[in-house]
Amino acid sequence: MNRRTLPLVALLLAVVIGGLAVGSVGARSKASPTKVVLWHGYTDYEAKAIKAAVASYNKTHPNVHVTAQFYGNADYALQKVLTAIAGGKYPDIAYLYGSWAANIAKSPKTLDLTQRVKDPSFQFDDIWRAARAVGRVNGKVIGVPALIDNLALVYNKKLFRQAHVPFPTAKWTWADMRRAAKTLTNRGKKQFGWAYVNDGSEDTVWRFEALLWEAGGNILTSDGKHAAFNTSAGVKALKFLQQTVVKDKSVYLDSGNGNYANLFNSGRIAMLYTGPWDLASFPNVDYGVQILPRDRNHQTISGPDNWVLFDNGTQRSTAAWNFMKWFLSTNEHLKIALATGELPLRRSELKQPGYKRYVKKYKGIGTFVRNLANAEKSRPTTEKYPRISEAMGLAVQSVLLGKAQPKAALDKAAAKVDAILRTP
Amino acid sequence: MRLVRSEHTAGWAFILPAVVLIVAFGLVPIVWALLLSFQSSDFVSPPKWVGLANYQALRHDPDFRAAIVRTLEYTAIFVPVVVLGGLGVAVLLNAKVRFISIYRTAFFVPVACSTVATAIIFNWLLEPTFGLVNWVLGWFSLGPYGFFQDPNQALFSVVLMTSWGWIGFNAIIYLAALQGIPGELLEAAEIDGASRFVTFWRVVWPLLGPATLLLVVWSSINALQVFDEIYVSTRGGPLQATTVVVYYLYEQAFRFFAAGYGAAIAYVLFVAILLLTLLQLWIGRRRVHYTS
Repeated sequence: MNRRTLPLVALLLAVVIGGLAVGSVGARSKASPTKVVLWHGYTDYEAKAIKAAVASYNKTHPNVHVTAQFYGNADYALQKVLTAIAGGKYPDIAYLYGSWAANIAKSPKTLDLTQRVKDPSFQFDDIWRAARAVGRVNGKVIGVPALIDNLALVYNKKLFRQAHVPFPTAKWTWADMRRAAKTLTNRGKKQFGWAYVNDGSEDTVWRFEALLWEAGGNILTSDGKHAAFNTSAGVKALKFLQQTVVKDKSVYLDSGNGNYANLFNSGRIAMLYTGPWDLASFPNVDYGVQILPRDRNHQTISGPDNWVLFDNGTQRSTAAWNFMKWFLSTNEHLKIALATGELPLRRSELKQPGYKRYVKKYKGIGTFVRNLANAEKSRPTTEKYPRISEAMGLAVQSVLLGKAQPKAALDKAAAKVDAILRTP
Repeated sequence: MRLVRSEHTAGWAFILPAVVLIVAFGLVPIVWALLLSFQSSDFVSPPKWVGLANYQALRHDPDFRAAIVRTLEYTAIFVPVVVLGGLGVAVLLNAKVRFISIYRTAFFVPVACSTVATAIIFNWLLEPTFGLVNWVLGWFSLGPYGFFQDPNQALFSVVLMTSWGWIGFNAIIYLAALQGIPGELLEAAEIDGASRFVTFWRVVWPLLGPATLLLVVWSSINALQVFDEIYVSTRGGPLQATTVVVYYLYEQAFRFFAAGYGAAIAYVLFVAILLLTLLQLWIGRRRVHYTS
């Protein structure tokens, strides 16, 4: 750059900076209500529901102005929120997956809600235990529940009738499941009894974890320092999968592209272990929902997500918390559930008059709600979980591809997990 | 006013937006990634300076080594397939037949297809039970193959998918080069009694040298950086059979949040690509004739 160009560059810079300054001054002079910015990834009717809730809150709370902003696909929300924090301009509230709790807990801008949730009017204990657990990291509460779901058995009634197999009952065992899957499989018609996501991702792992818990096993030891899934319970759970997949060949293995949902909807698959989020993908199937078949018990796994609050000064934090308290109150959340088909977060929602309408509106949803009582355990909230999940995923995947035996695969994964847990 | 009107200033003004964008989204991230590779960072807590620790850890990481081997395997198959495949298609498309522009368009369509769309299409084409490919192979009593779901076939299936998308591009470059070959040289060869094969081997192929060099360099860089199609189709699996270097980098940085480690992988890859390209250009300079 030479001397002649400098004035021009300076002029451009001045215009840009000037514009920014004018813009921000203009924004500030108008702002009398406290600003609360909420980031979410909702689209369609879910987006409508949250906008309606925010609008009604703003109307009744003139001192606060809540803005709900769409941050795109929730899969990338953590990166976006972290980038925003690094840039110094971040939301007050963000919807973040439960599996990120340990990561976001480390940010100095994340609000510690441990004292806030003790507020009696919030009735924290009214919320399902599994949903509460996922916001708790090292004894600190860093998020309040945004969503809860769980895995249940969804089945195609027509295929059951065709094969003269009675519908699954709440007393089904793994053996019943295996037998039915075998009967419902018809290689000639390219029809499968069951489907399993076998890409080795968390999709593979959490379904296995439900089986592991049903057999009485655990992911880690109670002190969280060692792997505990390579016990007889873990081997039993993985053997059950191995027998149905490798020996009976009655399971469609999905390579992680979600093909299973399309195939279930076109009547190629009789049973799925899946959650309420999938139900809208099955418009062509008359399906039923049952709790998971048992081994020692009927446990399920739930994948709760959090609303995480960030520190933008006391005034905004308090306003954000007050909004959250209102938003998660029994009546308000039931409205969201009614509009979106999400499961209730609070036990008290089940006693509301609107709950009956909700169960009627969403076919099979009642079983998922009842099944929440079976969500007894949670995945460990540690930032090492993604690595633990990877090791377990490879173990399950290798067995289901017929490349390894359950005991050996789980032992190998456990050794890896122990090493991961040893690193600081 | 004289200042603003001067050509020099106007020139700067015109390129300023581009310069700002390149600096902001090109140079800054490149330098930042280099700094990041010397740090231990999870994107959340303040980063710690660790010097060369990330690079040292890479030397002892068996998964990284496996990813390198896999990437080299992929490159060793992909580059000959797309370069020779592109040449073959270009020779066919150079023929004087009717509807030639339709054929040319047909071969170029996959290039215009987004890589994500390509991967989604191939997911279904190569689906073992319901896919079209196994169905057609079944007529000839072949298969069924596992493709993306078989650890031994997954990498080859990825090559099949990515080369489908790339052959058209290489064919267009070769086609342009073929049409640039002076007709009198071909005539001279014919008069001298050269067979079609000899003409191709002794006259056409050497004249295609610059195009071949360009495509080998370009395809190699692409192969070493392959990511999108793998992300959409196999996610590095099954059993890490398609975990190539960039996918491994992605997992480290964005699944396990080891940002510094991921940045170190990126720089190792950058240096490797730089060296390979220099080697190819050096060989090319000795073997390729730029004038006919």
